[in-house]
Amino acid sequence: MNAAGTLRRARAGLPGLLVLIALVAGLVTLVIVAVSGHPPASQAQEVQQIASGLHCPICKDLSVADSPAPLAQQMRQEIAQKVRAGESAAQIRAGFVAAYGDSVLMSPPRQGVAGVVYYLPFLVLAAGLIVAFVLLRRWLRAPQPDPPGAGPPELSATQRRAVAKAVARLREEEPG
Amino acid sequence: MRRLIASRRARLLAGVAAVVAVIVALLMTGLGRDPSVFASPLVGRAAPNFTLPQLDGPPVTLTRLRGQIVVINFWASWCTECRVEQAALNQTWQQFQDSGVVVLGIDFQDTADAARSYVRTDAVAYPVVEDASSKTALAYGLRGVPETFVVSRSGRIVRHVIGPVDPVALAGEINSMLGTRA
Repeated sequence: MNAAGTLRRARAGLPGLLVLIALVAGLVTLVIVAVSGHPPASQAQEVQQIASGLHCPICKDLSVADSPAPLAQQMRQEIAQKVRAGESAAQIRAGFVAAYGDSVLMSPPRQGVAGVVYYLPFLVLAAGLIVAFVLLRRWLRAPQPDPPGAGPPELSATQRRAVAKAVARLREEEPG
Repeated sequence: MRRLIASRRARLLAGVAAVVAVIVALLMTGLGRDPSVFASPLVGRAAPNFTLPQLDGPPVTLTRLRGQIVVINFWASWCTECRVEQAALNQTWQQFQDSGVVVLGIDFQDTADAARSYVRTDAVAYPVVEDASSKTALAYGLRGVPETFVVSRSGRIVRHVIGPVDPVALAGEINSMLGTRA
């Protein structure tokens, strides 16, 4: 076996090796994504994510991420510092809630008065639907007035026999 | 039949009247409340600690003031309402500084030069510190200036006032705290 033959065999096997490496790399990436749920967000993305979940305390309807107010800028800096220091998003949010209350959250927890305010319209709607259903059923079951010109209702043979029996009994009971 | 309809109407009216009465009662509970006194989540909790540099003096650490009542006032030289309450804060400082009460101004979103100029022209008598990074302001849940926090001798926030302080109400609060061991 000479060197040229070995080189030729190695060249022939190279594409297969590259395909194998690509397949393994793809598989490893898939496993990482499957285990972690999503690719790791950069710190800037994390800051943006936390800031967009916080309500700018001096704005009407803007998040800390969207507000140009100096206080919101300082809140973003504070979030960035805390992210760099290794605090979790939940810890950072909890810190702002401790100072500002639940109103600093863009989606406050649905507990207490906030829960009542959130769920009350659904309860009222459900109660209204129940009332409408009950009224509709009552209305449908109510005896409908006979259309003009309609005669007495037709009786079945059994009903006619029962009526005849009752009439006969009444006649027997009548004095004289 | 008519009596039945009348009785149903009366019950319906009574129900509506009861609902309206409950709503009016709920709304009326807010009428007796001072709108400047804010239901801050920090009231009743330990005041966040800070160490901040004085405009012209050594740094101030809040925990070092433990045992004294501390009136923390967030202000800025550009804030017109801060000028409105300036006399009240000076008066509080002069009235209570010998009774174990500290009034401390925290300059918010300002420049040191503008703050110094304000302190000189408005004759601010009590110590003033700078919060350049606004870290302390954020820890106190600040929404603007002026805002004032009254901290008890044990280091708990007992009152949070948004807007200019009322000197009579502030003096009353301090007097009642001086009368207790809080």
